[in-house]
Amino acid sequence: MMQIPNDKFKVVGTHLSDTEKISKPSLSFWKDVFIRFRKNKLAVFGLILLAILIFMAIFGPYMTEYDYKMTDLTNKNQAPSAEHWFGTDDLGRDVFTRTWEGARISIFIGVAAALIDLFIGVAWGGIAGYKGGRTDELMMRGADILSGIPYLLLVILLMVVLGQSLGTMIIAMTITGWINMSRIVRGQVLMLKSQEYVLASKTLGASTSRIMSKHLIPNSMGPILVTMTLTVPSAIFTEAYLGFLGLGLTPPLASWGTMANDGLPALRYYPWRLFFPATFICLTIFAFNVVGDGLRDALDPRMRK
Amino acid sequence: MAEKLLEIKNLKQHFNVGKPNMVKAVDGISFDIYKGETLGLVGESGCGKSTTGRSIIRLYDATDGQVNYDGVNVHGKKSAKDLKAFNRKMQMIFQDPYASLNPRMTVADIIAEGIDIHGLVKTKKERMERVYELLETVGLNKEHANRYPHEFSGGQRQRIGIARALAVDPEFIIADEPISALDVSIQAQVVNLMKKLQREKGLTYLFIAHDLSMVKYISDRIGVMYFGKLVELAPANELYNNPIHPYTQSLLSAIPLPDPESERTRQRKAYDPAVHQYSDDEQLEMREVSPGHFVYCSEKEFKQYSVK
Amino acid sequence: MEKILEVKDLKVSFQTYGGQVQAVRGVSFDLHKGETLAIVGESGSGKSVTAQTLMKLIPMPPGKITGGQIMFNGEDIVKKTDKAMEKIRGKEMSMIFQDPMTSLNPTMKIGTQIMEGLIKHQKMAKADAKKRAIELLKLVGIPMPERRVNQYPHEFSGGMRQRAMIAIALAADPKLLIADEPTTALDVTIQAQILELMKALQGKLDTSIIFITHDLGVVANVADRVAVMYAGQIVEIGTVDEIFYDPRHPYTWGLLASMPSLENNDHDELAAIPGTPPDLTNPPVGDAFAARNKYALAIDYEEEPPMFQISETHFAKTWLLHPDAPNVEPPEAVQKRIRSLSSNFEKPVLVKEGK
Repeated sequence: MMQIPNDKFKVVGTHLSDTEKISKPSLSFWKDVFIRFRKNKLAVFGLILLAILIFMAIFGPYMTEYDYKMTDLTNKNQAPSAEHWFGTDDLGRDVFTRTWEGARISIFIGVAAALIDLFIGVAWGGIAGYKGGRTDELMMRGADILSGIPYLLLVILLMVVLGQSLGTMIIAMTITGWINMSRIVRGQVLMLKSQEYVLASKTLGASTSRIMSKHLIPNSMGPILVTMTLTVPSAIFTEAYLGFLGLGLTPPLASWGTMANDGLPALRYYPWRLFFPATFICLTIFAFNVVGDGLRDALDPRMRK
Repeated sequence: MAEKLLEIKNLKQHFNVGKPNMVKAVDGISFDIYKGETLGLVGESGCGKSTTGRSIIRLYDATDGQVNYDGVNVHGKKSAKDLKAFNRKMQMIFQDPYASLNPRMTVADIIAEGIDIHGLVKTKKERMERVYELLETVGLNKEHANRYPHEFSGGQRQRIGIARALAVDPEFIIADEPISALDVSIQAQVVNLMKKLQREKGLTYLFIAHDLSMVKYISDRIGVMYFGKLVELAPANELYNNPIHPYTQSLLSAIPLPDPESERTRQRKAYDPAVHQYSDDEQLEMREVSPGHFVYCSEKEFKQYSVK
Repeated sequence: MEKILEVKDLKVSFQTYGGQVQAVRGVSFDLHKGETLAIVGESGSGKSVTAQTLMKLIPMPPGKITGGQIMFNGEDIVKKTDKAMEKIRGKEMSMIFQDPMTSLNPTMKIGTQIMEGLIKHQKMAKADAKKRAIELLKLVGIPMPERRVNQYPHEFSGGMRQRAMIAIALAADPKLLIADEPTTALDVTIQAQILELMKALQGKLDTSIIFITHDLGVVANVADRVAVMYAGQIVEIGTVDEIFYDPRHPYTWGLLASMPSLENNDHDELAAIPGTPPDLTNPPVGDAFAARNKYALAIDYEEEPPMFQISETHFAKTWLLHPDAPNVEPPEAVQKRIRSLSSNFEKPVLVKEGK
């Protein structure tokens, strides 16, 4: 038998404080999400792409000496060159400047749609889900009716009544854009409201607004965020699509949709006029989609340990 | 006996009333809870024991019946202020240590929730001091305050849940299966903690569980529920030594004991509700068979039971 | 008796953000034909991971078998490919899970779920498989099996679902049945029925069972032998009588003492095991239980105790059995249980490493 000094066989008892110690570094939910998001190469690439796009939307128009509405009929339909990086259009306007000017509008529309989602959709769905019963029934049927109106028809009507402008487009989105979000939030809230921590808060005497803001919304943040990142590209796409149909902004304002629309007839001779706006529509939508997917995977509770 | 703290009279909790899938989760039960005692409530899943607890604390609006706390009906119409005051007196500990703590809040914010709602402290510093004090009461320490629930083990989380309930200085705590999701050794920790708190703060407990051996240990009196009805109510030892209702007998005979020898010979009794052979005109109610020992039975059964 | 399973020094870890969690840290045991081995321990002790590793059900990655052997039918499971495991799972070994609701497929008829294995592993014709499914449902005590075979899981009660799970697990006459907390989600009366059923079936079919639970009452009821796990290791293993009437490891004492008994009336404190189990990302030096053990010796904080043998069948991993160790009194609740067992050796014998 091995030799062990006798004094080692003394009863020394517990070291309890050691057992309650947590040695792992503290990891908040969002830090955990970030670590998982970082592992997704495609999503990180999407995020970098987005950062570049946003940077260019802010500073791009100042990088040239041209203004987006400055026409120059002597230099129309020029191919990309050192002078005009993306070429010029049929009025001699610089496509590079117009592309980033258009990016501003596209991103503005995307962000506006996301905010509408956040404020109307989250509140509507949250209240419907939390109150339940008749309130829920009424609110959600209301949303169903709104979502039943054909979107294009609504836009055309509004354009006719209010005129073609950015404001009209935002109003059109305000009417129906939040419905998807409200359904998602309602589903989340329905699921969460019977969780014991919500019940505990109720037994402590918490008010409805406290339960909403401290418990239900923070715990629905994952799906809300994912829905928002996926709303942005769909709004950008909708704007481009309306612009392409000629329902978008009026010149000289530039958006990617109207630029693509302008460029289409000249496709055979001056392809860059379509190529640049179309490419950036694709890139932006792609970037938002991969970031959204990456977020969804990073937030998925089934992957949480 | 001590004074009554809580009087439950003919409490009914039905769900989906008027629809074909109506559930009579709690179907007319009455009992009292005395100041400073622990009343155990046992029964199998779906018997309505958790619903009873939740109705008492007003998480559900009772379909019928009264819950009198210190002589005042809790379910009557009340102002928001009265309700808030009532929320401080009565608190709840939940079953699932993983679902009962908000994963997005730090332990300090979870414990301080009641303090924040009722505005019990004036400064941030005071708030943190109170949180540290509560953490210590339940055997945790300061360093835990800024961590998130998922970093703790089940037993530690349950202790956080207890600290949250204690934050508002309640008199009465409903413990809804507080130990059934925990390991044996941790169960004993939580039960010991609850007993210690009862001694120190004079708390009254309604202890809901399906683990009968733990319930017997912690409770002064025990009620047995079966399909929304209270079928037997007696002092803990009396119930275990002299179970009268056939369902209680069946329940007791089904508990496996940590003793291989007695397990080899244990005879399980099955319960079949048909054994009562109640006829339609018989009046079924809680009857006092011996002092303090109530059984849900008919007049005829009452006579049989009383003879024994 | 014929050995059907031999686990030698099994080690399993999981890769997580916080580091490598050593969930199973050198577990060895064997299992004989027709015997029930209960594995008890608290959550995080590695009992479920051990069981799932036997069937290679742990997700890899993040899980990884970092060492050891699992000899089943004379072959090492650890080395088998997924393809080879498919032939063993459900046929040679099956598993019953804790939650009968999530372990049955809600969109498939109960009968079809039983037949699946029969058709796949035993190449039965559909009609024969159905006949066998009805027989199996009858065997596990489901009334009106001819009708039940065509029903969906939601039409079954919790107890009935667990019976159906057992029928599925037994369909191919497995040599080994692993039951992972099969009665934890059930009510006591239903639990009693399922335990009776499992014992009756074992008598009939001579299956070996590994029964994982944290309920010592259930262990006393079903087990022939018991392995007590703590922090990824088996700290004590022996026959059910040895564990309940002559426990030697302070953790086993703690478990037994923390259960209130129905007979005793005293309202003293329960002898809870204080503290929290260790984090297996950084297992403590020495004996993992030391910090919670009021009988801990100085050496427990320095060196991991070796296994000592108390009888032919009884082993415990604690320094308290060392000849130089002081005599300590187990907790009162445990002292009441202790009987002297004639099968014990005169003195505990140190088990040589590498045996």
